[in-house]
Amino acid sequence: MSNVLRPYLGAVRSTLTAALTLENFSSQVVERHNKPEVEAAGSKEVLLNPLIISRNENERVLIEPSINSIRLSIKIKQADEIERILCHKFTRFMMQRAESFIVLRRKPVPGYDISFLITNTHSETMLKHKIVDFIIQFMEEVDREISEMKLSLNARARIVAESYLLAV
Amino acid sequence: MDGAFRKIDIDAFDEDIIQESELYEADPRDPAQVLEEARARQSSVRGFLSKNDVVGALTTVLENAPYGPNVEDAKTISLQTLLSILNNTKSTEISNVVKSLSMDCQDTLMKYLYKGMAMSAWADSNASVLLSWHEKLTEIAGTGCIVRTMTDRRTV
Amino acid sequence: MILLEPHNVIIQTTLGEKIIKPSSLDVAFVDYDGVRFHLSTPQSKTLLLLSMHIRCWDELVKYGALEILQREYGSLLQPQAEPEYNVSLVIDLEQIPASPEDRSAFILSIALFKRNALAAPFELAFKNQKALESSGSGQGELMEIHYRDEEAIYVQASHDRVTVIFSTIFADETDRIFGKVFLQEFVDARRQPAIQNAPQVLYSNRDPPLEIRHLANLRNTEDTGYVTFVLFPRHFTPANAPGTISHIQLFRDYLHYHIKCSKAYMHSRMRHRVAEFQKVLNRAKQEVATTERKTVTGRTMSTR
Repeated sequence: MSNVLRPYLGAVRSTLTAALTLENFSSQVVERHNKPEVEAAGSKEVLLNPLIISRNENERVLIEPSINSIRLSIKIKQADEIERILCHKFTRFMMQRAESFIVLRRKPVPGYDISFLITNTHSETMLKHKIVDFIIQFMEEVDREISEMKLSLNARARIVAESYLLAV
Repeated sequence: MDGAFRKIDIDAFDEDIIQESELYEADPRDPAQVLEEARARQSSVRGFLSKNDVVGALTTVLENAPYGPNVEDAKTISLQTLLSILNNTKSTEISNVVKSLSMDCQDTLMKYLYKGMAMSAWADSNASVLLSWHEKLTEIAGTGCIVRTMTDRRTV
Repeated sequence: MILLEPHNVIIQTTLGEKIIKPSSLDVAFVDYDGVRFHLSTPQSKTLLLLSMHIRCWDELVKYGALEILQREYGSLLQPQAEPEYNVSLVIDLEQIPASPEDRSAFILSIALFKRNALAAPFELAFKNQKALESSGSGQGELMEIHYRDEEAIYVQASHDRVTVIFSTIFADETDRIFGKVFLQEFVDARRQPAIQNAPQVLYSNRDPPLEIRHLANLRNTEDTGYVTFVLFPRHFTPANAPGTISHIQLFRDYLHYHIKCSKAYMHSRMRHRVAEFQKVLNRAKQEVATTERKTVTGRTMSTR
């Protein structure tokens, strides 16, 4: 992990660990329902203060905790048009496979690129610190992946242009 | 037939429904008075900073910090005051400063750190400074401090 | 394969096979830019009929395509084309060159059918440039070739150069942005000493270049791109003119082919990365101990 990224990911890790104190909680509004309170937003008293961790204007994480679920949304760095489209494609690709990523939300929260929804069922059936590891590793690698894709696109474009022009 | 009655939020008429004001005890002080105090603290902080007393300056801001509704101005002034302290502290001193704060002050500091990061569009909030304070504060006060920030309704 | 080949591989391989072993056949196939071919043996096994349909045929005829085909194929060219097609060749398998070299050269020339038809406006422009050069100034006619639904090639000769402009449509936003990256590299690549002699490339998005700005039928939306090649006389000396023509014709297909390749590569990369993430997440799952539960009498409990 690069030194610049460390405090940012460290803050996300500690905040997420703190927020992952979930318990089973039936809806207070609808009888015999049990749903993620952070999504239903039916009763105020079970929602906690949302927290934002930001590295700069373009990279931030929103963590919305509640009694039985937390929602974590990530805004990924997008320096230019190419990174924007690559990021969009990548997150879309992942979100289309949301069912195999259990904790992934199918749609990001407005203003962010990708969202995760972790409920008490997830924290009961999966190892909590490993879920945190997954999120952190995702954040670490998604930036790298996007910049590598951009580099490879540029490299290919260069080779393509050169071999065409050399042949004319 | 008019179906407008179907759109009425009947839960709002429930006697048991919880109100925003019931979630925490309101600040007894008058908004104007709070604003006055925030301004006074801003100048006293400058005094502490000129004497290089970071702990004194931080304690001044963090004790009796404005919270609740109707005091947006006072909150903004307090945040600005706090950010000026944080930006003027050497990174090597952070640990010692945090250690000498009381637990309540540490909790309030954590609240301000998150608020500062949420306001990253501001020119005077430097995210990397906030992140290094956050790192040190979590080291010393533990994740409990973050949990208290999430659960405390008295947002700064 | 980085560069695309100007000849049609189906014609090349089918002809090669039929020469060795003639048999009756009837195949229809396509080439780039929606060009349709029909290869059949209507009369006898040794008499192949090859027909071609190009959507911009009328324009090509105007710029002298028939003369070029006449020059290339001579008596093979049929005065009357097969219905639904623009032009036809008849190849008599009993009258083709005997030596292997001549034979493969002959097959290749047939496979370049489409390339030769599309070469007409370029050859005309090169000829016009020579004529204008002696007079020292002036501009030739702006030739438009609408070879695809919404995309066209414009060729114009001046006294010192020939300008070739491609208009192209990028189907979606990703294509547009990738296309921009590629075209930017085409513009930048000329800075390298080895490529200094290549034609100059200019690229503009949305706004058409000056030469064709007066045309009424341009569709100037965000997804339109214009690429201009400036060919100087050194690019179309009699020795290298044929190569330049084959090459420049395929520019649009080359560009889009590589955009699609990049997209496919990105996709396989994402697939790999997502599989890696999946592994990380699976590490978080706990092993659920499934021990068989039995009753006192020894029967197994099962969930219904």
